[in-house]
Amino acid sequence: MENDQTQVLPVQEIMDLALMAGLYSHQSGGDTNRTSGIIRRMALALGAARADTVISSINIGVTVERNGQRETGFRKAPHMGANFTMLTAVAQVVEAVEAGRIGAAEVRRQLEEIAQHPHFYPRWLIAATVGLSCGGFAALFGGDVAAIACTTLGSGVGMALRLFLHKRHYVPFMFALASSFTAMMVTGLLLKLAHSQTPDAAMAASVLFLIPGVPFINGAADLFGTNYLNGMVRIMMGIIFVIGIAAGVSLALRIL
Amino acid sequence: MNTWLLELWAAPAALGFVLLFNVPPRSLAVCCTLAVIGHAVRKGVMLLGGDIVLGSLLGGLVIGLLAEWWGARHHMIPTVYSIGAAIPMVPGTLMYKAVQALLGVANLASPLTSGNHAIAQQLLVEAGVNSVKASMAVMALAFGIAAPILFRPGRNR
Repeated sequence: MENDQTQVLPVQEIMDLALMAGLYSHQSGGDTNRTSGIIRRMALALGAARADTVISSINIGVTVERNGQRETGFRKAPHMGANFTMLTAVAQVVEAVEAGRIGAAEVRRQLEEIAQHPHFYPRWLIAATVGLSCGGFAALFGGDVAAIACTTLGSGVGMALRLFLHKRHYVPFMFALASSFTAMMVTGLLLKLAHSQTPDAAMAASVLFLIPGVPFINGAADLFGTNYLNGMVRIMMGIIFVIGIAAGVSLALRIL
Repeated sequence: MNTWLLELWAAPAALGFVLLFNVPPRSLAVCCTLAVIGHAVRKGVMLLGGDIVLGSLLGGLVIGLLAEWWGARHHMIPTVYSIGAAIPMVPGTLMYKAVQALLGVANLASPLTSGNHAIAQQLLVEAGVNSVKASMAVMALAFGIAAPILFRPGRNR
C-alpha cells in the first residue's frame, strides 16, 4: 500500500521534502556527507530513481530524476549553530521513511514539527552552565577554588553577552571579540579581589566557551571525508572566530 | 587519588557545551560520562609518559568509539555525544600561553637592541612551541573522534 502511494508522488514533491530534510540537517550542524546522504536517501526512499546533491557552505541543492522527469531546486542554508536534537530528529525521519513506516504526508508533518521545535534550554540556563563549564576548565588546568569561582562568573557574563549579540545578528568576529574581552576582564578583576594563587589557570579557562568546536570538528570531518572545499570553509570560519577571541584577549590583557 | 578525582570536573566542563548544542535531555548523562572517560584516558596516557598529542588522539578515539557504539544501540547520531564530550580536551592553557607570548612580542620596543633580541627570541619560541603543540593536539583530537567513521568507508554517503 505504502509503495503505491509513493509511486504517484510528484517529482517536485520528492525534491521539496528531500531539500527540507537537507536544510535542517545542514543548519543544525551536520557535516557535508551527512547532509548529502540525508537528501539522497530521502529522495530515493520517496520513489526517486536518482538524486544528485550539491552542498556548499551556505547553499544546498538537489536534482531528482524519475522516468525522464527531472526537477532541480536550491535552498539558502545559513549556519544557525549546532542543534543536535534537530539533527537526530531529521535522521530518524529518514530512517522511518526508508523502513516504509511513514509516507510522504507524514514526512512533511514531522519535518514541519521539527522546524518548530524549540530549544530545550532557556538562555539564562545555558549562560550559567557554560560559566560553570569554564570553571571546570579552570579546575582541570589546576586552578584553586577562587580561580574556579572567578572563571565561572566571568565566563557566565561573557556567554550571556555572546547570546545577546548573536540574537542581534552581529557577525561572529564581533561577538567573539566582545565576549572574550568581557569574560577576561570580569575574570581578571575578580581574581585581583579574590587573591587566587593560580590566576593563569583562570585566565586561560575564561575564554574557552568561545572555542568554535563544531566548525573545527565538522571541518576536520569534511576534510577527512574528502569534501575539501567545505572543510576549508568550516576551518576558516573557526579561524576567523579564534582571531576574534585573540583580539579580545589581547585587549583585556593590556588593560589588566 | 585527588588528581584522579579532578578528572570529574570534565563533566561540568562538557555540560555547558552540550546544553549550547541543544542535546536532548536524556543524552546529557552519556555526554558527561564520555567527557570524563576521554579526559581520564588522556591523563593516563600522559602519566605513562606519552605527550599531549598522543593523549588527545587516544582520548578522542575512545570517545569516538564509545559514542559510535552507544549511538548505534540507541538510534542516535554519534556526533551528538562525541563533540560535546571532546570539548574538555581542548588545550586551552597552551593556546593562552601562545597568545600571551605573542602579546609580549607586540610590546617590545621597535628597534631591536641586543638585549631585546634575546627576549624576542625567547617569546617567539614560546609562542611557536605552544601553538604548534596546541594545533597538533586539536588535530589529533578531531581525527580520534572521526576515526570510527573513517574506518567504515561509504557508510554515510
